[in-house]
Amino acid sequence: MEALRVEGLSKNFGGVSAVDNVSFSVEVGERLVIIGPNGAGKTTLFNLINGQLPATSGRIHFLGEDITTIPTHRRAHRGQARAFQIISLFLNLSVLDNGLLALHGTKPYRFKLFRSINHYKVISDKVQDTLRALELWEKRDELVKNLSYGEQRRMEIGLGLALQPKLLLLDEPSAGLTMEECSGIIDMIKNLGSDITVVVVDHDMDLVFGVAERIIVLHYGQIIADGAPEEIQADPRVREIYLGIEE
Amino acid sequence: MEQFIINLLNGLSYGMVLFLIASGMSVVMGAMNIINLAHGVLYMVGGYVGWTIAVQFGAPFVLGLLTGGLAAGLVGLAIERGFLRLLYKQPNEQVLLTFGFVYILTNLSLWIWGGWPRMPFTAKVLSGSVEILGKAYPKARLATILIGFILAIVLWWLQDKTRVGAMVRAGMDNKEMTMGLGINLERLFALVFFVASCIAGVAGVLGAQLLGVYNALGLEILLLALIVIIVGGVGSVQGALLGGILIGVIDAFGRALFPKLAMFTMYFTMIIILLVRPSGLLGRRT
Amino acid sequence: MKTANQQTPTIPRQGQMINLVPYVAGVLILVILPVFLSSYSQSVMTRFLIFALFATGYNLAFGYAGLISLGHAAYFGAGGYTVAVLKLHYGSDLFWICTPLGILIATIIAAIFGIIALRVSGIYFLLVTFALGQLLYSVAWNVSWLNTPGMQGVSGLSLPTFGIAGFTLNTTSFYYLVLLVSLICFYLLFRIVNSPFGHALVGIREGEDRMRSLGYNTWLYKYLAFVISGAFSGIAGVLFGYYNYLISPTHLGVGTSFLPMCMAIIGGVGTLLGPVIGAAVIIFVELYASIMTPERWPLILGGLFVVAIMFAREGIGVYLWRLCNKVGHYYGSTKS
Repeated sequence: MEALRVEGLSKNFGGVSAVDNVSFSVEVGERLVIIGPNGAGKTTLFNLINGQLPATSGRIHFLGEDITTIPTHRRAHRGQARAFQIISLFLNLSVLDNGLLALHGTKPYRFKLFRSINHYKVISDKVQDTLRALELWEKRDELVKNLSYGEQRRMEIGLGLALQPKLLLLDEPSAGLTMEECSGIIDMIKNLGSDITVVVVDHDMDLVFGVAERIIVLHYGQIIADGAPEEIQADPRVREIYLGIEE
Repeated sequence: MEQFIINLLNGLSYGMVLFLIASGMSVVMGAMNIINLAHGVLYMVGGYVGWTIAVQFGAPFVLGLLTGGLAAGLVGLAIERGFLRLLYKQPNEQVLLTFGFVYILTNLSLWIWGGWPRMPFTAKVLSGSVEILGKAYPKARLATILIGFILAIVLWWLQDKTRVGAMVRAGMDNKEMTMGLGINLERLFALVFFVASCIAGVAGVLGAQLLGVYNALGLEILLLALIVIIVGGVGSVQGALLGGILIGVIDAFGRALFPKLAMFTMYFTMIIILLVRPSGLLGRRT
Repeated sequence: MKTANQQTPTIPRQGQMINLVPYVAGVLILVILPVFLSSYSQSVMTRFLIFALFATGYNLAFGYAGLISLGHAAYFGAGGYTVAVLKLHYGSDLFWICTPLGILIATIIAAIFGIIALRVSGIYFLLVTFALGQLLYSVAWNVSWLNTPGMQGVSGLSLPTFGIAGFTLNTTSFYYLVLLVSLICFYLLFRIVNSPFGHALVGIREGEDRMRSLGYNTWLYKYLAFVISGAFSGIAGVLFGYYNYLISPTHLGVGTSFLPMCMAIIGGVGTLLGPVIGAAVIIFVELYASIMTPERWPLILGGLFVVAIMFAREGIGVYLWRLCNKVGHYYGSTKS
């Protein structure tokens, strides 16, 4: 079954196309990695899929439903979770507050006005479990901005996962991490259940080949290659355009 | 037909004053992300100084324009260097601070110039009228339109054709990058703020011919400037010009055609623009 | 809106005792103190409570949701004008009619203005709320139905009646009525800021994009916060109408809108009770300035803003709060 299908998707910024007639689909449980040189349109593509930007043309289907025009928060309710390239946690709030906000987001009583947030024991317990699993429970009253970069990244992805998403969008999860922290992230992605579809954008080759079942190469907003990791490594155009620039 | 032309000219001259008030404020908002609520008070200070020089001392009108502009510029510079500089990226604090200066400067002006309003006046050079389609039209209003257009062209040139303008526009897009290019943002901001305040002062002197000067003017003018900015779009000379002319002309025709609703025409315009195009006619879409 | 050195509202954790000492002490002072005061001082205290309520309600939108509104006088004034118009045209000052109607009208206006103003965000929101507030100010100037013949505004208002035979209010009992209403409102606001909803508002202030991708309909949150905040401003406005005997267009204008913002910033933006401290400071300074040098009052007020901003950025209330907590901790630790 298809988790995500993108058809002829384009995005123009004042006449420049950042994403140009892109089509692909992702099966449920698949681990897809999107690579490409800087400015290839990877982050724009994520912004279209997750709804931060409206598409200029083309359609996006998620679990069989056309989501091209629905707002970001509804996409979250349908099961999309996203970790941003730049850490987007609430830096001035505590670790615990970040956890509570993340886990309340898709719950029906998030609009309740007159009950204490601590009243919802199920959520409080879940936040506690999640933070313990991320080894951050001891630091729950720290402000997030006082955590290390690796801890922030781990927390962002961990909270994304705690929402039990159907599709996880990770934008450069390895950015700014040490080798060790990075391999922790690779393990985390590998150990996800087969019901979670993962789409990753990254530059780090360990991470790309560590998690990818399939790779798409973007160049100037267009897909120039789409296939298994071995095929991509062997593709002469990719070597020329992408790997050539990297080295 | 004649009436139409007269209304149009009235609207244009008023619109030019509006443009001058709004342009500086709009560029400061765009470049420095600061809402200077004291901008209207700077206009008032310029108006009082210009009126004193040109009417009370009987000096040439041009001297009134220059001193009015300079006085407002220096007061603005003092606010920026002394206080606002320390509050970048803190919008709440900036708003409170500049509003504090609204109270301070309004009260100081009351102290210096007293409570009696200064009447609209006409400079000697601009007295008399010109015949347009058989009707006499005051020269002063035509001169206001002319001065407004000249300043619009100068400002547009400063913004789009000079190095300083390019730095300001770059700063709007990406502050960190601009600093990376080795541009001294502090000095640039001080300069922008000074020029914007000067223009407010000049507008105050020009506007004094049409509207006079009085103590409550600061907030009234601020409101007009904000509406012009909302309609035209933030951050550019062109936006302020279009917004100013549009509001000026709509106001003039509103007064002529539906005198009872005249006070609300600009609000209606603003609300419609907000609903249709929230970033203003020439604003950048975000 | 992200400000660098703003402290965040803290939420009492499960199993952690809320430090009740400052609350209880504060309420006791407010209940007992007026007994020893002249009726003039009682009336100043009433004024303080009304503005404290206005500022606290305003701060739900401003400090919690990060909506920099400069037009809340519209809702405050709407409450006041409801009292005024009912008195002027219908001769009624019945509390049971004026108050609900005032709140309703303030809420409706906030609901309409909110739709327009929330088309934009950040500092532009300030521009739009400011202009919309001035729109009502113009209406009040120009519509004769909203003015006592021969003057600007409506005068001759009186303290509320309750329709109970033989029961009338004086300055003292009106103070206690305002105190009761304020305490109810503070309690409701306390519940709101500690609920998932209030929590989400802080999240939106800190990072709206992230909140959206977490599944929050951020527009709706901001809109509700704005409207609720307008409703509380309306309650304050109704009380102010009764208190002030006079409502004029000024009470809808930017000068009035600016007061709660100023109180919130001076007292501490990110806290529930900071604005109360801010209101105390402003009302106190206003009182003394108006006695000592009424002509220079605006100069002193302006100077106060500047000094507060430059030297007490986090708000005076926050310093006091920390002091209370320190005392509380000290007390707690000596006990165990």
